[in-house]
Amino acid sequence: MYQGKVVFNIKEADNIYLLGIEAPKKILKSFKPGQFLKIKIDKRFDPLIPRPFSIHAIDENILYILYQVVGKGTKALSEIKKGEIIEFLGPLGKPFPKIKNYIICAGGIGIAGFGFLLQKSVNKKDFYPPEKIFYGAKTKNELVRLPFLKKFGIPIKLSTDDGSKGYKGLITDMVEKELKKNPQIILACGPQPMLKKIAELGEKYKVKTYLVMETFLACGIGFCMGCVIPSKKGNYLHLCIDGPTFLAEEIDLGFLS
Amino acid sequence: MDFSVNLGLLKLKTPLMLASGTWGLGENLDKFFSLKEIRENIGALVTKGISINPRKGNPPPRLFETPCGLINFIGVENPGIKEFKKSFLPKIKKFGIPVIVNLYGEKIEEFLELAKDLKKEKVAGLELNISCPNVEKGGIYFSYDPKIVSELVRKVRKVWERFLAVKLSPVGPVYEIAEICEKSGADAIVVANTYPALAVISLKPFKILQGGLSGPAIKPLTLRLVYEISKKIKIPVIGCGGIISGKDALEYLLSGAKAFQIGTTNLIDPRSAIKIMRELKEFKNGLCDKSDTC
Repeated sequence: MYQGKVVFNIKEADNIYLLGIEAPKKILKSFKPGQFLKIKIDKRFDPLIPRPFSIHAIDENILYILYQVVGKGTKALSEIKKGEIIEFLGPLGKPFPKIKNYIICAGGIGIAGFGFLLQKSVNKKDFYPPEKIFYGAKTKNELVRLPFLKKFGIPIKLSTDDGSKGYKGLITDMVEKELKKNPQIILACGPQPMLKKIAELGEKYKVKTYLVMETFLACGIGFCMGCVIPSKKGNYLHLCIDGPTFLAEEIDLGFLS
Repeated sequence: MDFSVNLGLLKLKTPLMLASGTWGLGENLDKFFSLKEIRENIGALVTKGISINPRKGNPPPRLFETPCGLINFIGVENPGIKEFKKSFLPKIKKFGIPVIVNLYGEKIEEFLELAKDLKKEKVAGLELNISCPNVEKGGIYFSYDPKIVSELVRKVRKVWERFLAVKLSPVGPVYEIAEICEKSGADAIVVANTYPALAVISLKPFKILQGGLSGPAIKPLTLRLVYEISKKIKIPVIGCGGIISGKDALEYLLSGAKAFQIGTTNLIDPRSAIKIMRELKEFKNGLCDKSDTC
């Protein structure tokens, strides 16, 4: 595990935080968009297992983690103060696929990992920028990091469940409108019902669809076999080594409830 | 400092063993350690459970975290003995530490077939997993049936001349099973496997996960078993349960274990073995005796 110093851990919205970790550049250089890391949150073994997070951005020697408090681990993380030292392991998992002419669909905190993709696709060398970003959340307050995301000059379509900003309704409605006009590859991350809908849309409009999945995981490096995702073939894929991004057609969608 | 231990037919450079299922099949050891670190710190590698045929394992969810513990329901996912010998064993042999293959069978015959199949291979020993259902006895766990364990160990002993350990379940007639393993020719026993546990993963609808509990939560329970069992038998006891620091390891050694296995801690930090051995050395040097963080 590597050590990093917390340089900020600020509240972006209700239950959503942005954590900055100062770490050696050499280590951060090895991270690619789509990969994740595990952060050891408590030294007293509760929570016991380090938690996985996607990489929101990297600026020089600062690693940005955008996270939502959803349980014991993220609650404890939100209480970590500036100046504290934390341990992390990474990069883990496979990077995003190197695709062109695609759209991003993010639901809620699912936006987190796409910031780093935008950063790394500016020079169109290893990764390419999306044509459009579709980003939905429950309310206006939960649409976070918009100034940062807008910096990249890519059209962003927003939606909220309550209509407090952007289109009132589900982001998948907006994605469907787009696909009707212009079928293109989808890269999606968000809650399971959203991913399921996106997979259905991908099938309907016959476009390649990539889903960024989430499960509880322990080792993150293929040792424990704990983080399985059922495949269409009837076997199991392992999120930490085969993912976290999967082609929707490979996954047994019954898993996405 | 000499940390070598003698487990009868097997001599280890250090008392630390990597527990089954917590380093996969061991093929990635060199991604996280240098060869020197492997040889200086890891006494032996115990592989994930190997069965005759490939097993795809259990459906998700396979994991649930509890206070200071982890419940797993993996289901011995493994590629089967043929693929293990072909694609994994050649690589892990090169690390230069003893390889102990954990065997998973649901019939005595299956254990025998696996043991015979490994006779020509360069493996240092076998570890029998008896926390599996015996399909010939209606699925009752081997570990609940002293007669069956006796038959199993005796039969494997006849076909396997190298180091033979039995990994006990912490529940059932544990003390009787330990004595039976000794009488039946085992060289060592591993105390113990995970504890049968249950987690409620959803209140409404009511959903549960049943699996094996590991981690620091179980350490006092297994430590008690090690202490009691090591007074009853003469063959070496290998302690396994919730070790996360050098102090934990030392507690096992002082309670009667000749060696110890680390499991869940590998899932937290793959380099745990180095940290635990460093702390154990510091304890032996008297540098760490007042600290509760080692």
